[in-house]
Amino acid sequence: MKIIRTLAPALLAAASVLLAQRASAHHSTAMFEWGKEKSLGATVERYEWTQPHTFLWLIVQDGQGRTQEWGLEGMSPSWLGRRGWSRHTLKPGDKVSVVYYPLKDHRPGGFYVRIKLPDGRLVDALPQRSGQ
Amino acid sequence: MNRTLRFTSGLAACGAIALVSACGSQCAQSTANAAPAASAAQNPYAALAKLPDWSGVWEPTFRAGTPGQAPPAPPRLTPPYAAQYAKYLQKNRTTPGLNFVSAVASCVPPGLPQSMLQPYPIEFLFTPGRVTILIETDHLIRRIYTDGSPPPPDPDPTYQGTSVGHWEGDTLVVETSAILPDTSPLQGINGHSDKFHVTERIRLAEPDLLEIKTTRTDPAVFIEPYTTTAYYRRHRDWRIMEYVCEQNNHDALDAHGNPAFSLSHKPEE
Repeated sequence: MKIIRTLAPALLAAASVLLAQRASAHHSTAMFEWGKEKSLGATVERYEWTQPHTFLWLIVQDGQGRTQEWGLEGMSPSWLGRRGWSRHTLKPGDKVSVVYYPLKDHRPGGFYVRIKLPDGRLVDALPQRSGQ
Repeated sequence: MNRTLRFTSGLAACGAIALVSACGSQCAQSTANAAPAASAAQNPYAALAKLPDWSGVWEPTFRAGTPGQAPPAPPRLTPPYAAQYAKYLQKNRTTPGLNFVSAVASCVPPGLPQSMLQPYPIEFLFTPGRVTILIETDHLIRRIYTDGSPPPPDPDPTYQGTSVGHWEGDTLVVETSAILPDTSPLQGINGHSDKFHVTERIRLAEPDLLEIKTTRTDPAVFIEPYTTTAYYRRHRDWRIMEYVCEQNNHDALDAHGNPAFSLSHKPEE
């Protein structure tokens, strides 16, 4: 029992550290409501296939004729590029549905998690939470 | 013979006509005959054939510890660092996905050993008397001298430190010191003393699985040396990608050193 009690915090700590490490390459995710999925429909303004993160600029209609620009960070070309994504995956004018983690400060931005492409494909943009 | 080879190749660069007029066909003949004789004994590249095959690109697997065994025990830390580490673990428990806050967010490169534990791949180059590790994240380069020469007596502290290595069978043992003291010795801890020393034992655990055991020693931080194990999966068909952190970083820390997020089109980092 003693061994189990001693090991349990270590196991938990190791698991949480590993999950956190996998989520983002080089920075904290503290500015996002990480894990809280929200979605929006939008038109792609520009897709920046850049390090250390890709960046997706969107034009979102508010339903009353007004538009707002949104900026969503994503995983890097180093991660996405080895999992079927490319700089051509999204292009200006594409109508997409995006699942994202919002910013805590409610500005129009966040981190994109998965995207429904114009051809209907749903593409993951983050490591899965369970397993490799 | 080497001198002859260099001499003739230099001449060849000036033009084939010069070579022919200088020594004629007899000279060209003797140079061709000399090449095999200069090989095994004198060509330092021949010794590389005995080294294990670490070619390809190695992806970190984030597999925790040795398969089938419990993860390593937590580090035993001196009081100031224990407090820092406990705070980090507590934050990670209460905020899912929270990562370590460090200058890396502002594109300052990670120091050793964190540079080896980034989410992106690494590759190895073997040349005579040296192993070079190329890290995709931030384009970091580690030069590990394996020619038996001692490290310089008083090297300047750097992000990747000063490394010497030697082979124990098929295991490369790397000893590194002179790592900048404001870098992270372990995820969750910022800073260490100038006594910080890293020992890495690198070997193939399986044909396509590289194992790196990393031991951190620093009496200011660790009550006893702390070892973790990381695994990397081989991808022979991958290429290392360009990674310039300043290209489009929206995540530089704010003026108080806290995480931030810029929605500016041209972030000022």
